[in-house]
Amino acid sequence: MEQLVLTPTGKQCLQSLLQVWLDFDLTLSKVPIVQRLEQERLSLEDYQRLLVDLRQQVIEGARWITRGASSFEREFVDVRSNIISHAKEEHKDYLLLEKDFVATGGDLAVIQSGSKNIGTEALHSFLMYRASLPNPVDLVGARWIIEGLGNKMATKWSKAIDRQFSFEHSVSTFMSFHGKNDEKHMAELYELIDKVCQSEKDVQAITQSAKVVARLYCLQLEEVDNH
Amino acid sequence: MKQVYINSTGAYLPGPAIGNDEMEDILGLVEGKKSRLKNKILKSNGIQQRHYAMDRHQNTTISNSAMAAKAGEQCLQDSVLAKQKIDMLSCATSQGDLVLPGFGSMVQAELGLSAVELHTSHGICSSSMMALKAAFANIKSEENSNALVVASELASRLFKHTRYEQVQGKAIDFNAEFLRWMLSDGAGALLLEDKPNTRQQSLRIDWIKSVSHADVYPVCMSVGYPQQNDDVQDNRTWQDYATYAEAEQAGALLLRQDVRLLDNIVAVGVQGFVQLIQKNYVQPDAINHVLCHFSSKYFKSKIMELLNMAGIAIPESKWYTNLYERGNTGCASIFIMLDEFLKTNHLKAGEKILCMVPESGRFNCAYMQLTVVDPMTEKESV
Repeated sequence: MEQLVLTPTGKQCLQSLLQVWLDFDLTLSKVPIVQRLEQERLSLEDYQRLLVDLRQQVIEGARWITRGASSFEREFVDVRSNIISHAKEEHKDYLLLEKDFVATGGDLAVIQSGSKNIGTEALHSFLMYRASLPNPVDLVGARWIIEGLGNKMATKWSKAIDRQFSFEHSVSTFMSFHGKNDEKHMAELYELIDKVCQSEKDVQAITQSAKVVARLYCLQLEEVDNH
Repeated sequence: MKQVYINSTGAYLPGPAIGNDEMEDILGLVEGKKSRLKNKILKSNGIQQRHYAMDRHQNTTISNSAMAAKAGEQCLQDSVLAKQKIDMLSCATSQGDLVLPGFGSMVQAELGLSAVELHTSHGICSSSMMALKAAFANIKSEENSNALVVASELASRLFKHTRYEQVQGKAIDFNAEFLRWMLSDGAGALLLEDKPNTRQQSLRIDWIKSVSHADVYPVCMSVGYPQQNDDVQDNRTWQDYATYAEAEQAGALLLRQDVRLLDNIVAVGVQGFVQLIQKNYVQPDAINHVLCHFSSKYFKSKIMELLNMAGIAIPESKWYTNLYERGNTGCASIFIMLDEFLKTNHLKAGEKILCMVPESGRFNCAYMQLTVVDPMTEKESV
């Protein structure tokens, strides 16, 4: 396997991000709804609530990504293009969540009228704030966590969900969809790290945002049980 | 605090090497039929040979504590330290010959060691590292000046065809058969002292660290839970049945691996490794040799992939294992590996060896760094 990140600062950043991810992965497995999902004892109601809550975050996701793109100044013009094309690919992902919800027997009006749980509120607010600052290099950390989650959903969670319910067709298309472009997205992300992570300060900012996003994502999932 | 050195190693593997084709001659055919899973599992773990402390009629040929003693004796034979001078005996196994007393007591008696400080560490693959850590800490804090550490396993007794035939009702599940094609028997021993050897190289133990994640994941490898039905969860353990016969019929005495959870060991193992790098215990570029107790080939490639991604991979040429020829002997594996590695490689002073034992029991990972040191001159030793 080739070395994916080439600059020394980029490598340092990737190592630090890997640690944040692995720590997050362990914490995530202790969140009650994730425990039930991974151990295949999710109730249908649990899964529907999860879809409703995820949809409220995902539908807002394109906003912080595009906001972030517009905050990059002229010296980061190629970064801006990279982010815009990524946003374009994913800005309608929430439709898959709605489709999955309906496939489990849910009412479309219910998922469409749902509101953000407090974890989603905090996560979204943090991301919008950071994306509004000039040259938000640290958002690479946010994207690292979100991409990692996409990979986890595609490779592990979607299969676990389809195994524990007996619907004729898959009810986890949102989660499995993320596996399809995974390699391309990760390659883009590595390229991004090499480009934007130029100093120790950048490494710290990227790591810090990855940690915040990881913590708030856990909060969002913890809150799924608090309806 | 004192420095601690590994001054001698020993190993014992019972009987002849058994190839993949002969395994069922020893363990027996369950209900007279050849296993349908065997080849698939062997293909994935890559093991070609192993040893069993059991003959073709499933009679035990040597006890677990006797194997431990043989490894200990071999270790002492290569050392200048007299048996009578041993201060501490620290032992590990996943299952002794007796349920009680502790395995260490039985090994001490077999070895004929007098008045030692005793420690027994109970667990699965990483229990040897925990026994080693206890001995290491003991010498470091100057409680004792040396310790013999022995790890031994006799897992094959759990894999006799008759064990599986006792289970009533449903057919044997994949999880119960999985380890039958993974584990085998053997013992390994290390002698630790507070001074390096005067005639041959020693290994200085730089540090031993372990991190357990039992709070995160359910049990992954176990003996004691019954075979589960799809509809009702049975939380009884082997001692909760009216008789041991009932427990056996319920499948509660079989060794099981929850294979769905097994993947987590990769992330957990790498998490600990990355943490050690971040805390400056390990500098990947400075490592000359890696001895990792991975249970099969499949996991090795996964680990390499993740480390590569973070740019902290240690090149494959630096990895050593004897898993494929000596088998997976649970907690004894890492000692058996270290013993053969030292006896078949020429090492230079200053070289660093990283040992890793990620255990899937309930996700405990142990790590150790060793540095090769040249013999101390006689003058220095006074």
